[in-house]
Amino acid sequence: MVAFLRRLAGHLVRGVVMIWIVTTFTFVLIRLMPGDPVQTQYEKLLSQGVSPDQARAQVQVTYGFVPHGSWLSQYGDYLWKLLHLDLGTSVSAQGVSVTTEVMGALKWTVGLVLAGTLLSFVIGVLLGVVAAMRREGHVGSVLSLLGSLLHGIPQYVMALVLVTFLTVKVKAFSTGPVDGLLDPGFNGPYLASIVSHAVLPAVAFALSSFGGYLLTMKSSVVSVLGDDFILASELRGIKPSIVFRYVARNALLPLFTVLALSLGFMIGGAVFIEHAFNYSGMGAMLIDSIGNRDYSEMSGAFLLITVAVILANIAADLLYSVVDPRVRREGAGA
Amino acid sequence: MKRRALAGLTAVGTLAALLGTAGCTDSSESSSDVFTAIQTNIDANAPINPYNQSTNSFQGYNAMKLGWPKNSLTDANAFYPGLAASWTETPDHLKLTIKLQPNAKWSDGKPVTADDVKTSAAMSFSQGGGAFAVAPGAAGGVGAVKVLDPKTIEFDQSPGSSNNSFLRNVLNMWVIPKSVYGPQMPANIWDLIATATDPKASDKAQSAAQSKIQALGKKLVEYGPKKDVSAGPFVLERVNPGEAVLVKNKYFFAADKIAPSKVVLKNYSGNEQIWNYLISGDLDAAIYTATPTNVRKKILARQGNTMISGFSPVAASLAFNQSVKPLNDVHVRRALAYLIDRKLTTRIGESVGGTPAQTTTGLISDAAKAWIGQDAVDKLNQYPHDLAKAEAELKKAGMHKSGGKWIQADGKPFTLNLQVPNGFSDWIAGGKSIASQLTDVGIATEVKTSADYATYLSEIAEGKYELGFWLTALGPATYDAYARLYGPSNGWNQFGANVRHSPAGKNGNWMGGAETATVPGLGTVNPGELTNQLAQSDPAQQKQIIAKLAKYSNDQLPAIQLWDYTNIQFVNTTRFTHFPANDSDVLRLYPGTWMQLGYIKKK
Repeated sequence: MVAFLRRLAGHLVRGVVMIWIVTTFTFVLIRLMPGDPVQTQYEKLLSQGVSPDQARAQVQVTYGFVPHGSWLSQYGDYLWKLLHLDLGTSVSAQGVSVTTEVMGALKWTVGLVLAGTLLSFVIGVLLGVVAAMRREGHVGSVLSLLGSLLHGIPQYVMALVLVTFLTVKVKAFSTGPVDGLLDPGFNGPYLASIVSHAVLPAVAFALSSFGGYLLTMKSSVVSVLGDDFILASELRGIKPSIVFRYVARNALLPLFTVLALSLGFMIGGAVFIEHAFNYSGMGAMLIDSIGNRDYSEMSGAFLLITVAVILANIAADLLYSVVDPRVRREGAGA
Repeated sequence: MKRRALAGLTAVGTLAALLGTAGCTDSSESSSDVFTAIQTNIDANAPINPYNQSTNSFQGYNAMKLGWPKNSLTDANAFYPGLAASWTETPDHLKLTIKLQPNAKWSDGKPVTADDVKTSAAMSFSQGGGAFAVAPGAAGGVGAVKVLDPKTIEFDQSPGSSNNSFLRNVLNMWVIPKSVYGPQMPANIWDLIATATDPKASDKAQSAAQSKIQALGKKLVEYGPKKDVSAGPFVLERVNPGEAVLVKNKYFFAADKIAPSKVVLKNYSGNEQIWNYLISGDLDAAIYTATPTNVRKKILARQGNTMISGFSPVAASLAFNQSVKPLNDVHVRRALAYLIDRKLTTRIGESVGGTPAQTTTGLISDAAKAWIGQDAVDKLNQYPHDLAKAEAELKKAGMHKSGGKWIQADGKPFTLNLQVPNGFSDWIAGGKSIASQLTDVGIATEVKTSADYATYLSEIAEGKYELGFWLTALGPATYDAYARLYGPSNGWNQFGANVRHSPAGKNGNWMGGAETATVPGLGTVNPGELTNQLAQSDPAQQKQIIAKLAKYSNDQLPAIQLWDYTNIQFVNTTRFTHFPANDSDVLRLYPGTWMQLGYIKKK
């Protein structure tokens, strides 16, 4: 237990240092991006057909929310606020705290990507096992081919195909936000609307991701099937279902790390899918904030993604020792 | 095992079908009196405050102005009544008296009064800019606001300027309820404004007052009432991420004209999202939407979808960085104008929403004709696609052709980089067409793409591009149109009622044009000075100035006008009818304002 806590403390210290380094790096990177939020908003309004008078009036207020001063003073101010868990105020949504903006978008993304990731993991693992067990036959070949093919199709292409066929040509699903005419809350129609708007993006996510899990699982299972303990189990006449459990538990270990990291990346990982489905999550917020040169929102979003990835890494590292006794023993031995 | 798998698949299929059905049965489709439109920047966390850039007060629906600008070719001060029923302005633009709608009420039942408008003016001062600049002697600034009676208010222009933008800047003001915003303002707000804008006040007092107003402005713009208090035809009911729902305001002064009981505004951040909604038949109206031909066909194939179009006082131009050789030579610019086939470029770049520019005047073709007459426009150089004339101009610039390529006087080949921003499909396609046309005649031209529009604007302002697309002819105010060519981007900055010219590379001057140039028939002209005069001239004087500026622009070519934009909008007549017709002067307004003006009826 003491060793575990010591490891945890070490991970956390390293994590905080990593967060500080990445935060500093993104702070500088964001400010190196060319573009002025006020000018960009003004010209965008002009390109949307708004008259110069109205565009001027609309963007006038933005200037007061753009961070001013030297980079050093801005950085000091940013870190000080960060220590107080204050991510600052949005430039494009004046007066709204970045925390509110980020949290508002985060809940939609987490639901979507969590569902998509778990779906792709389950499908990928199951089909990966089948592909490995039937690797000599047509089934194995077809599954491997399918995995490679889907793994190679970018998420945004998959999303556009689904949008075109299932929301435009055949109106089986809706894109965009949850139906605003429904009373928000814990009621059937509203929940159904939430799910129905998230199903297709989640499916797009799963379809474009499960190929990776399938191929990794297949190769892992094939590798485990060749291990001596499987042969020994078979020779001892252990039931095939139990042998299958041995195989699955051992073959799953590499995928466990991949899954943990995927969960860490999920916060910023659905940018293209959210854009294609007009889904109001972190991806959409990130794209808007970059387009608007909203430094505060960009910093907040990047920070959250960084923290999520680092925490997922730590969790994967710690939990790996729980699921794999060999790692635990090696750790104790060291 | 097989049976279990089959049962599982059936369950998944049933669930998907149920969810799919739930997704399809949007209430917006089942309720015939719910009007669905689009809006950008919908943010569930944003305040219900029209002064906020990302607001949940939506123009024409639950956010009201004193007046609504008409889409006019020549009159930037043409307005439809909003909360102002009528107004009179003295000929010198110094005094503006506004009468409010007699029956105007807020959604809480209280009447809209002149005090509300005065509070709105204080709010506008706290945000600055336009007629409400918090600076002494600002051109066209408000000098005094007087409540004459509960329904009448007077605005005086500050002494020292007689700016013709005064009326439109005041009428464009958002009107907010005093009962909600008044308590957020200090009691001495008008004393602060008076000190901050008084030329006789000491610098210290002015600066202190300006700082206080600036701090107040930030606080006020962040403020959002918990409940919407609207003087418009609708009141905000709720905002979900990406969608706002508004209900009809029974207290609206023209409630009898409003057909829908509810309005749903769907958020969009890109044209593709609007296209999908339109192709699915989800929208009753979509404001200005850029559409390629194939997309337009799909949209119009949906039952009830109809296109309406009108002029847009915006032109796409190819602007030069005139501090870069050989583009500093007017003969080279003229040669390029002869070499670029504007009809071909428009057909490739903006076949749906563009009309080839007749020639370069600084105004869109129709506005130029309306201001200075068809004859005067026809007498200008039309720059037809003419290779011989282009060749003659290039030779005047000291160039010669060798091996099929144009060579400059210093022996270097004449090549060009044409910059376009990523995401502007019409500019990219048009740019590629131009590059191909120029390369074919011996001027190797490469199209380069900036990462996004923000990067493009930043880098063009830094003078990093030699040739790039630029929106020009922004009307209807002629000052705004010519300020695109002879404003800050070309070195002229306003100081009070005057302008000063900065050299290329300084103070945002990336076009690098000469401060003056001699034009046959005009003599030596300072186009920045003339442009500035447009802001303070009556229509007759403007006509004379425009004649000079059009001739100057046509001769000196700081930019080549390629096409005039057409305002393309889509409406669906399945649920509602009586939309504005083609070329209506309300096409730059939102559907909420159309309803106020008597458009949009239930089918």
